[in-house]
Amino acid sequence: MNRSRFSAAAFAVAFCIAYVVVFALDFPLFRYWPLHGDWTWGRTPLKDAGPAMAWYGLMANAGIVALLAAFIVPDAIATRLLRNRVWLFPIGAMAACVFLLRQFFA
Amino acid sequence: MTILLLIIHGLLGVALLGALTHQSVSLLRGRAARGVAFLDRYAGARDRTFTAAIIALFAANVAVGAIIYPDYRLGVRIPFEEMSLGWAVGVFELKEHFAGLGLAMLPYYAYTWRSENAEALRFDRLMITLVLAVVVWWDFLVGHVLNNIRGLE
Repeated sequence: MNRSRFSAAAFAVAFCIAYVVVFALDFPLFRYWPLHGDWTWGRTPLKDAGPAMAWYGLMANAGIVALLAAFIVPDAIATRLLRNRVWLFPIGAMAACVFLLRQFFA
Repeated sequence: MTILLLIIHGLLGVALLGALTHQSVSLLRGRAARGVAFLDRYAGARDRTFTAAIIALFAANVAVGAIIYPDYRLGVRIPFEEMSLGWAVGVFELKEHFAGLGLAMLPYYAYTWRSENAEALRFDRLMITLVLAVVVWWDFLVGHVLNNIRGLE
């Protein structure tokens, strides 16, 4: 195992957890309103702006959390704790996304 | 311009699908390919070359998808909603979320494929590679089916 300031394991796990949380709480960092090309922070509503897109903001929020975790948690600790268990997190996050979107399949 | 980007998105998806399936089969075979049978040859993926190519293709494909996403939101999703095709909206939502999660797995995917981590992270390497393969297959098939129902203009 090599030593690095960036922990890829911590990044992967933190991203999965943060993504599910911000998605479930509908808490993107920003929203994009493609009809007129507007941007708003957080959940700020915009009148007569058409549909909003939250995905970019969800990715940004989860990415920030994951980057912080990746640089704060030492790689040696993250790798030792999560060794051969990291794969559970993306599968869990994907299952959570299916659950959170269940209304489309009812 | 949108159509050109959509075609590039699809072509990148095909290349990614091939590379990840190739690498997944290689992992599932679990031994060095020495025979002359098709499957043996197919399983003979060069680790480092494939890993770098998969990371580049995945990142590029998500980037292109993110650029054309607003056109989908306005020109495709709204008609889907008007046609009461909730399942189509739902599977596309899953496509975008899976792609985002897959993108975030790339640093760890690269980490598990380093030669010095090959033994210690063998199971993570197998499972993360398979997760990425499932994501790419899902995203490709969903994109293809939805584009058949209503394509971008």
